[in-house]
Amino acid sequence: MRHYEVVFLVHPDQSDQVPGMIERYQSLIERGEGKVHRTEDWGRRQLAFTVSKIHKAHYILMNIEAGQETLDELESSFRFNDAVIRYLIIRRKKPETGRSRIYEEELREQEKDKERDRRREEELAARRRDNSNADSEANAAEESAE
Amino acid sequence: MSRFRRRRQGEVNIQTEDVDYKDLDFLKQFIGETGKIVPARISGASAKFQRKLTTEINRARFLALLPYTDQHK
Repeated sequence: MRHYEVVFLVHPDQSDQVPGMIERYQSLIERGEGKVHRTEDWGRRQLAFTVSKIHKAHYILMNIEAGQETLDELESSFRFNDAVIRYLIIRRKKPETGRSRIYEEELREQEKDKERDRRREEELAARRRDNSNADSEANAAEESAE
Repeated sequence: MSRFRRRRQGEVNIQTEDVDYKDLDFLKQFIGETGKIVPARISGASAKFQRKLTTEINRARFLALLPYTDQHK
């Protein structure tokens, strides 16, 4: 059993399959009595250059402990899966468990997005409240005019 | 007169710990404007560090995290 770090790129159109794929590979590794020490979903990222005419790809990182057979199986499943654009498997000396730099960045981005969405929603709600207030005032004015 | 300034080791942020292909901001210090890896004689990196750097930059390039050149597309 050795430690490996696996990164694979999924076609952005097949992005919604990613959770299923992760689960499948996880069960494959566990069947081979290996372990998954870390899984990171970096989401859809802009590529530094086009790969087979694609500008974006979904990145997934896994740190695993597996035997040769399991690894071969994993590699062949990458090779014959058309959704996987590229994959990189490197040997590591020990299991990695902490968050990687890229993942932290991704999380920060997500946090920012959420923050922005929340602020936008608040603004909308505030505007709606103002509008309804203005409406009721207008109504009151009309009523008093009558 | 040399065209390039050789930086002393202390000037660049050279970590003694592991270089990692996932640490893009760190790796970007060692690629030039064209995307090429800056030679050690200019960056002042030691031979050992430069070797590590090269492998990690190439890994990042393979995963399209870093460019090979600025002429892509």
